Amino acid sequence: MNNLKKQVLIFQLNGEPMGILADPAESLLTILREKLGLYGTKAGCGKGECGACTVLLDDRAVNSCLVPAGKVQGRKVETIENLSQGGKVHPIQEEFVEKGAVQCGFCSPGMVMSAHALLKENPQPNPEQVRVAISGNLCRCSGYKQIEEAILSAAEKM
Amino acid sequence: MILKTPEKNTHQYGKVEGTGYQSPEVWSKVTGKAVYGIDLAMPGMLHGKILRSPHPHARIKKVDTTAAKALPGVRAVLTGAELENRPFGIAVEDELPLAVDSVRYIGDEVAAVAAVDLRTAERAIKAIKVEYEELPAVYDPSEALQVGAPQLHDNFPGNVAWQREMERGSSDAVFAGADLVVEENFTIPAINATYLEPIACVAVDDPYTGITLHTALQSPDAVRNIVAKALNYPLSKVNINGPVMGGGFGGRVYGNLKVYILSALLAINSGSPVKIQLTREEEFTAGRPMIAAAIKMKMAVKSDGTILGREADIITDNGAYSGQAPWVSKTLSERNDSVYRIPSIKTRVRLAYTNKIPTGQYRAYGNQAANFAAESLIDMAAKKLGLDPLEMRLKNCVREGDITVHGLKIGKCGLSECLQAAAREIGWDHKKTGRGYGLSVAIHANGSLVFDKKFRGASALARLELDGRVTLFSGEQDYGQGTHAAFAQIAARALDVNPSQVTVESKETKTAPFSTGALAMRQTTVGGKAIQLAAEDLREKIFKAAAELAGEPVTMGNGVLYSITGQNLELAEIAYHYHNTTSGLSLTGEGKFVPEESDYDESGYGNISVAYSYAAHAVEVEVDKTTGALTINRLVAAHDSGRIVNHLTSRGQVYGGVAQGIGMSCFEGYLFDEGRVANASLVDYKIPTALDLPEIKPLFIEVEDPAGPYGSKGLGEIVMVPVLGAVANAAADAAGVWITDLPLTAEKIYQAMAGWECEI
Ligand code: FES
Ligand code: FES
Repeated sequence: MNNLKKQVLIFQLNGEPMGILADPAESLLTILREKLGLYGTKAGCGKGECGACTVLLDDRAVNSCLVPAGKVQGRKVETIENLSQGGKVHPIQEEFVEKGAVQCGFCSPGMVMSAHALLKENPQPNPEQVRVAISGNLCRCSGYKQIEEAILSAAEKM
Repeated sequence: MILKTPEKNTHQYGKVEGTGYQSPEVWSKVTGKAVYGIDLAMPGMLHGKILRSPHPHARIKKVDTTAAKALPGVRAVLTGAELENRPFGIAVEDELPLAVDSVRYIGDEVAAVAAVDLRTAERAIKAIKVEYEELPAVYDPSEALQVGAPQLHDNFPGNVAWQREMERGSSDAVFAGADLVVEENFTIPAINATYLEPIACVAVDDPYTGITLHTALQSPDAVRNIVAKALNYPLSKVNINGPVMGGGFGGRVYGNLKVYILSALLAINSGSPVKIQLTREEEFTAGRPMIAAAIKMKMAVKSDGTILGREADIITDNGAYSGQAPWVSKTLSERNDSVYRIPSIKTRVRLAYTNKIPTGQYRAYGNQAANFAAESLIDMAAKKLGLDPLEMRLKNCVREGDITVHGLKIGKCGLSECLQAAAREIGWDHKKTGRGYGLSVAIHANGSLVFDKKFRGASALARLELDGRVTLFSGEQDYGQGTHAAFAQIAARALDVNPSQVTVESKETKTAPFSTGALAMRQTTVGGKAIQLAAEDLREKIFKAAAELAGEPVTMGNGVLYSITGQNLELAEIAYHYHNTTSGLSLTGEGKFVPEESDYDESGYGNISVAYSYAAHAVEVEVDKTTGALTINRLVAAHDSGRIVNHLTSRGQVYGGVAQGIGMSCFEGYLFDEGRVANASLVDYKIPTALDLPEIKPLFIEVEDPAGPYGSKGLGEIVMVPVLGAVANAAADAAGVWITDLPLTAEKIYQAMAGWECEI
């Protein structure tokens, strides 16, 4: 509505430069979904309570619904869409399927991104570290067991 | 570009632990490509928003929408007074699309708007002026049933939404002659299904073809009927087209009817597609949680532990409108009675209207709430009699050939084996000191023969495609519980092909065969049987067409047909042959599973399902004596769901269902403050995180049951039922005191241990 509030935001999105005109107070989640059409990032609450909207900001997992768009200026954003590229599925995603970690799948993109951030920082996590890393990602379907198995197994294979 | 997904997971029916075929949908979900309801957008789509009552009970004096209508970008504003408002409902028709004279809970729908974007819709909602006259309200269901309580609905005097009294056997005599009577009051709060994706619906109205609702539902056909009636549209002019569903757990059987009806009305009024999406807060304050219950239960036993009879007086909290609460109350009040050989039963259940959020259903339909009460009572009796709770359960649990107190016919039944296996695995015979141990058992029906006595089964079609693949058409929905993978496996077995050759199509009500829906744990057994029959019928038709093509009899193996003289025929060849000789038809198998009528009588006595599943859970816990904090160390879940179709997805059902049971046991539950939901967020209404769960061990006791496809039965609902009783019993064993009010918080356990409540 109010173009006066808008700013040009320049950041790196999934490995490519991105520039958009947006209200810096708008959430990164809204920008990704509504403005950039990246619907892979899900929204379960819009209030930082569920983790469905997890993306990587400078390689760290964040709830994109809590990140004001202005905060991404000059930084690096990675979403689920970046993980399966060039006709290949990422090992984390492959293990999620292999271990039965995907039920309704609504939490899966956020879960996978949290796992991705964890394995970047700690390539050989123990089960407890996996559980802590995904403790901000709610999953109502799975009881988390097969998700934990998938992440541990992905770590082994990567 | 087609993503190269590894061609693993091609395992056949059943097979060993650790394997399991999965539907191709999982790849689109895990890569973020799956399209859910919240992701939907249409050209020219408007955004809808609902104005809700701020009062628990009030008369609407005046609604002024002038300012809202004048806002630029607003395309439709609806109020109850302006609508041709038809009452609708599920069990009882007690709702209107928008309130006309009065509102009955904080959140009641008063007006709806559609605007070019969400912000404008929100502004329009704020611009609507409503004058209310506040009325006295009632929040406690037992108060609501008292004389003089504020009345919610004129046609439901005394706030009784539904009630039932029944007696089987002669309870008074049984109790008079008992060696021991145990009695307790139990309370269970309302529970939110908390599917992770909030409900979203895009309604598209076409003046010629009718209305299409793009929304994910467990029971789209049932909702289609209700919406058609509410809109006064012919049934064939209402279509529900399901995107991917972000969880259901019973909460999306009927979902949120107001959202569907209002988005349709807004679309009709504005002439544009309209999307309504609930916020998480609305899911908590205006969704449809499972009823809260207060259960007063007593049990008569002989000194050797034989159960002689049980009596229960139950009050359930309907909230302002009924939804499915009468049916949930019914299951809550009786299903548990059939897990043991109980000769006499006397039950009264009353469902009371209160000025609170209306209720719906949740996984297991109240059976888990009753499990908490009934199974606690078993342990209370065992402790008083000095009996082993395991022995007492084994002595009384139902076995094959039994007819239960309500007339349920127990067919194949591995319940006692489940009990023994769970007890063995938890270490029942060598318990560790300082730990508490608990057991619990459950029975759950596989679909209902009596919900609609005329419509008891399911149907499906199996079509051979020209490329030799098979498409199954079924009305049964998959939202991650693995139904479609199981169906592919069932058909694959019948057709002797790989399950990855089989696709399941169930998206639209206008093309899919009618289905009762993903409820009552009916899909594997009832829906799966229809799949089996359809695939077998297709197989026969393939043989016939192949023999015609080959000019001699044929046999089949690995999806290829062989004639007796050794000609090989590919399925695609046969499909084309049929296609050419019929000028374009496809070989299609029809599956009609029509279970026999039940002997169910007026009193509700009789067999209600084609099969039952059984479970026994065993739990080990610790209680911190200084804080009361309960830690569940391990939970063993032993299940007889017949032959397991798919071990991978079945384990997923157990882990997920047990997690929900633990949430409900330990911390979940609605809190209210004068009718207002006091914990309307995922922070305040806590569900389990990855850090809140114990080690969960699924055990499958595979007693094949011919009632289901290839001996398989349902699993998805029963998984959470025994958790409640088992955790309560283990907590009592560790703490030395009983908590009879869910959830079992540290505070309650601490207070009880400190003697603030009486010990037993
Ligand atoms: S949508 Fe961001 S945490 Fe739930
Ligand atoms: S798979 Fe459904 S919420 Fe995680």
